[in-house]
Amino acid sequence: MNRLFLVLLIFCFSSCQEEVTLPLGTKSELVPTIEAYWTDQGSFNEVKFTLSKDYYDSSEVVEIADAEVFITIPGTEKVVPFGYFGGTKSYKPINPLEKAEVGETYQLNVRWGENTYISEGVMLEPPTVDSITWSFEEERSFREQGYYVKVYGKIPFENDNNYRIRVIENDTLKNQREDYLLFDDTFGLAFFEEGLELGYSFQENDRVRLELFRLNQDAFDYLNQLVNLLFSDGGLFSPPPQNPDTNIRVVSGNPEVLGYFIVSPVLSRSLVIQAKYD
Amino acid sequence: MSLFRVLTLFFLSIVGLQAYPQDQKFITGEVMDVSNSEPLIGANVYWEGKSTSGVVTNLEGKFELELIPLPARLVISYVGFERSVRVINQKDAEKPIRFYLKQEEMSLDEIIIQERKPDEQLKNMEMGKASIPIETIKNIPALFGEVDLFRSLQLLPGVQTAGEGTTGLFVRGGSADQNLVQLDGAPVYNPSHFFGIFSVFNPDGLKSVDLYKGNMPASFGGRAASLIDVSLREGNNQQVRGEGGIGSISSRLTVDGPLFGKNSTFILSGRRTYADIFLRLSSDDAIRNNSLNFHDLSGKFAFVLGEKDKVSISSYQGSDFLGLDVAFGLGWTNWVTAVNWSRVKSDKFFFDLQSYHSRYKYSVEFDDPENGFEWSNKLSESGIKAIWTAIPTDKFQVNWGVHSQFYNFAPVDLDPASGSAIRPIVTNPKNGLLNNLFVSGNYEISPKLSAEAGLRWGLFNQVGRGVDYLYEGEVPGPQVELTDSLKFGTFENMHFYQGLEPRIAFRYRISDFFTVKTAYNRNFQYIQIASNSSAGLPIDRWILSGRYVEPVKSDQISLGLFHNFDQDRWELSVEGYYKDLDNVIDLRNGAQVLFTDQVETELLAGKGWAYGTEFLLRKNIGKTTGWLSYTWSRAWRKIAGVSKNQAYNPRFDRPNDVTLVLNHEFSPSWSAGLTFVYTTGQAVSYPVGSYRVDNQSVPLYSEFRNLDRFPDYHRMDASVTWKNSDKGRKWRGSWNFSIYNLYGRKNPFAYEFRQIYNEDITFDGGSDGEIISSRPGVVMTYLFTFLPSITYNFQF
Repeated sequence: MNRLFLVLLIFCFSSCQEEVTLPLGTKSELVPTIEAYWTDQGSFNEVKFTLSKDYYDSSEVVEIADAEVFITIPGTEKVVPFGYFGGTKSYKPINPLEKAEVGETYQLNVRWGENTYISEGVMLEPPTVDSITWSFEEERSFREQGYYVKVYGKIPFENDNNYRIRVIENDTLKNQREDYLLFDDTFGLAFFEEGLELGYSFQENDRVRLELFRLNQDAFDYLNQLVNLLFSDGGLFSPPPQNPDTNIRVVSGNPEVLGYFIVSPVLSRSLVIQAKYD
Repeated sequence: MSLFRVLTLFFLSIVGLQAYPQDQKFITGEVMDVSNSEPLIGANVYWEGKSTSGVVTNLEGKFELELIPLPARLVISYVGFERSVRVINQKDAEKPIRFYLKQEEMSLDEIIIQERKPDEQLKNMEMGKASIPIETIKNIPALFGEVDLFRSLQLLPGVQTAGEGTTGLFVRGGSADQNLVQLDGAPVYNPSHFFGIFSVFNPDGLKSVDLYKGNMPASFGGRAASLIDVSLREGNNQQVRGEGGIGSISSRLTVDGPLFGKNSTFILSGRRTYADIFLRLSSDDAIRNNSLNFHDLSGKFAFVLGEKDKVSISSYQGSDFLGLDVAFGLGWTNWVTAVNWSRVKSDKFFFDLQSYHSRYKYSVEFDDPENGFEWSNKLSESGIKAIWTAIPTDKFQVNWGVHSQFYNFAPVDLDPASGSAIRPIVTNPKNGLLNNLFVSGNYEISPKLSAEAGLRWGLFNQVGRGVDYLYEGEVPGPQVELTDSLKFGTFENMHFYQGLEPRIAFRYRISDFFTVKTAYNRNFQYIQIASNSSAGLPIDRWILSGRYVEPVKSDQISLGLFHNFDQDRWELSVEGYYKDLDNVIDLRNGAQVLFTDQVETELLAGKGWAYGTEFLLRKNIGKTTGWLSYTWSRAWRKIAGVSKNQAYNPRFDRPNDVTLVLNHEFSPSWSAGLTFVYTTGQAVSYPVGSYRVDNQSVPLYSEFRNLDRFPDYHRMDASVTWKNSDKGRKWRGSWNFSIYNLYGRKNPFAYEFRQIYNEDITFDGGSDGEIISSRPGVVMTYLFTFLPSITYNFQF
């Protein structure tokens, strides 16, 4: 819909944009932000714990390095302790071989001072990725000329069909608001079997890595709401902006917390775009 | 002209006629407007020197006056028209005489721009009703030179706008879907073109518009905030005439005249924009391959069937289309048809029967070999309404009737293109049957005190074919388990609501120049739009009341003081109101309502309230006409799940609102208009910080909604009109030059909180190259600064 309105703006030829400085409010207390992944791939498992900042503050966010972080399996004695790693500025399992197993429910626990946060997620069975292809395409509607990647696979599940594909192009995560590739089964899943074309054009010799996640509903909703918020232009056609609904609960301490906990299988594939194989 | 006023005039004329015994001789005749041959109702007819014993013309412009010794001079006068004096001899008196009056449009001393009597606001019972004559609307400086009905209504006190350049109306704290916009009695579901930049009505084809902000007559209902009653004009019965205009973005033409003799008339009106032509002139393919246009057509056919019956058929069709890159298209269409039959059963008893059908449809097409689809939806309302009106005495009038409405909200239909990998989506239809019984009486208790009491009883059934879903705990929600579903057959009752809607008003005349009025009004609304954006979209989803969605209930009380002075040249009014709203809906965070069959899982419901005071100083007569208004008002919502369950202001809450509208006639050829508006900025949410997730900075918002304000909005528009009335006898042309936003105020349309890359707000971090720097920033979008336009208007 934003693009529709863009055309209207073009029509209303006198519309303009300029940067302004608005007096903005601030939070009396900075809000903790948790970004946690617990997957079946050890390298993905980490918890980032930061604080929010004032809007105009262009410095890096403050990392919290002194929290106690661990994952448990409710109803069992299983505890997976995490430790802070300065190199990645995140918490990682002390035992890197620990990872999520299909069918298990996991609980994230974060303790920082008087603040305690928890969140739960179920490790779902992964879909199947059969193959990845690429081909050169001439300019089409809504698609510029370039190499396009297609993912072929099977999703045999009746429920919990919430997916995200992360695309890393030449070591850079594509995370602009239009880059998010989130899909569920609203329109069916046949397109995945027939080849899901990623909406990005690549160039020859680009290194592309795809990471497919199967998400719990609350984590999927969080990412959808995040994308909606990133697309919000503050205009009449946008809903009132709201923070995405976190799936992390506050047990004690500061009543506000931001972020999400994702428990998911990860299917990762890499390729290099080469014309001779087109 | 409202039915009440017409009937009052009719009644007065009847009283006048009955003052003379039937055994005396009378002269009879009719009085008509020379420009369109429409009857002039309420014109004064009297013998010269005996004005106190005259009569007024009735609903059909006819009169009957006692004869005096002839020859004598008969005088015909009517407000806003040149007086006619004719010598009547014995031979003239033997048959009916027809008089044609000419409008006083060239008179500089007594220009009258209202379609009602100058002291009307003191005498009638109406509160919260506002009318702008169509001629006044045409004189208001316009955006792109496009005279616009709704944008003109936004200049009235108590009416707010969602934002720059949009025609959405927010009346006394109500949301846009709480306005009933009707054309000749038939509802129009999406009354806007170009995503709300223009309203759908071509002013050349209109007769009148009345806005009821408060005390809605009992014969109307179904919406919580207001009634915008638009009437198409009828054609003249003398000769084919036309008018139109060629503007900056559209042209229009209206033709009217007799159809099959003088007892039937027609009027056809059309308008088409050519914005898509401008797009094709662009050198940029990304722009040139888009298309954008709208058109509308309306027509009205009126038939006088004998002395007592009149039938009219009105129809409107309007469409918009937006195409992007050839492959994507979005179109929407309103099609409204109404048939009205009026019968004068006797001098004191009238009957009106109205039937209508209104259909709104939109369609989205995406032409893609892998994911192409066609998605369409439509909704319709069909209705029939019968009203009986009786005037037993000169102090008492009563009307009663029945109004049946059938709503059909068709299933969402997403149909994949051939070869497309996406799955079709078809939801279940929603149907509603609303039967209303109403009665209303108006009684003059004393010369100073009058009362009006009405009652409307709405009986609403959600009926099949349809499906109701059952949830664990009977509370629907996205994560709540679905326990069962119930299927209902055609017209099988699914859910029932009923509600009494009392309307009460009193008027007390303190003096000849002061009147105080008070009113109470309740309305139920059984349909709503499931949206939480402030501007309406063509694909907005309407929902019916049912198992999980209760009807909106609105209660409003109002009190007003009305004063006329300087021989009724000036009107002053002060009105205060308080309104309560129940069962208004909002959407959950991230709600998806377009394709789901379980839309109730995405909804939140709560309360609202609004209050305010409206001041209006208006001058309708003289070289300089216009009005100055000031409104102080507040609007609130309190919805569980929004703003931490605390009350908040919706975006259209704008406490201070000042409007100045001026029009001045310098000479018969030159006139000018000036408009100034000032309002408090919109209530919005700004970030209170930012945080980092998914390797990017995200704005952090407060949990409380709309605590911030856009800067105050103000703007001045001006126009100059030159008309050459001597340019031939049949062709009269005029040029209008308008400037929107005369002093170029940069009123914000939107603020976007995002990263600024490489110190360039146009730099797209995704595709414009290497990112050297990045910082948070605020980018303001503003529209329409100093926008001149020129329009050529003509009549023939």
